[in-house]
Amino acid sequence: MRRADIARLNELLREPMRSFVREARARIALLVNASGQVLAQHGFVGRYHVMNVAALAAATNASAHALAEITGAGRWQYMHHAGRRWQLFLAPFVTPAETLILVAIFDEHSTLGLVELFFQKLAAQVRALPEFGEALPAVNPASFEQELEAGLDRALAPDQPGGG
Amino acid sequence: MSDAVASTLDRLSHVPGVRSALIVDAEAGVPVASELGMGASATAVAALTASLFRRTDEAVRQAALGGLGSFQLETEEGHLVVAGRRELIVVVVADRDAQLGLIRLEVDRAVEALQ
Repeated sequence: MRRADIARLNELLREPMRSFVREARARIALLVNASGQVLAQHGFVGRYHVMNVAALAAATNASAHALAEITGAGRWQYMHHAGRRWQLFLAPFVTPAETLILVAIFDEHSTLGLVELFFQKLAAQVRALPEFGEALPAVNPASFEQELEAGLDRALAPDQPGGG
Repeated sequence: MSDAVASTLDRLSHVPGVRSALIVDAEAGVPVASELGMGASATAVAALTASLFRRTDEAVRQAALGGLGSFQLETEEGHLVVAGRRELIVVVVADRDAQLGLIRLEVDRAVEALQ
């Protein structure tokens, strides 16, 4: 995905992500593609954390996808980890353009059911965007790192007027 | 599904006027078991009723009324009866002209059976 595309997608995804966080009562949310490019985020304050979580989400998706294929499960739906205070929800969804992965962290103010419910709504909203309606060209390896950086820069940029 | 959950759900769903019946994990807000009528989504009903139950429970505790046992919503087309204690919540969606007394009795029995 090119730098200019990332910038536009960050803007397009800002409101759906904000709605997801509000309705699911999540504390932190991150939307990345299968390569680990950050498309949208809410609640993170540090670039380092976003980068780590994005990379881990992409890796988890790749591992879970491979495991599902090996075991004949077909596809995996979501991963949920319930800690003492914080809970983690990680789930992929497929668009014609590419597979995206949502990572959400929530506490006792939400539930797995709520997060899953509004994840489905977010996925439907993203799939309806024309930008995700067609298959994307393959990522150029030479510019891959730059594109990753571009996603981070945009996702962590202060909100524009009219944003949040 | 355990025998207790299966038989409880079966009894609830056979009460006249009941469209859908669900047993919901209160903590996670996900369905444990369900018998659904047309157009009902177990995931959505479970998530939203569990959230509503927890918040209403919090509200009645803040109002010094003890813990929440059950609540009932009247809608344009019917009723939503929700009851529970601890881990499990019983949810029944019923027609507008259903016998609510009978439904509430069965819901109370279901809550007892699931303890």
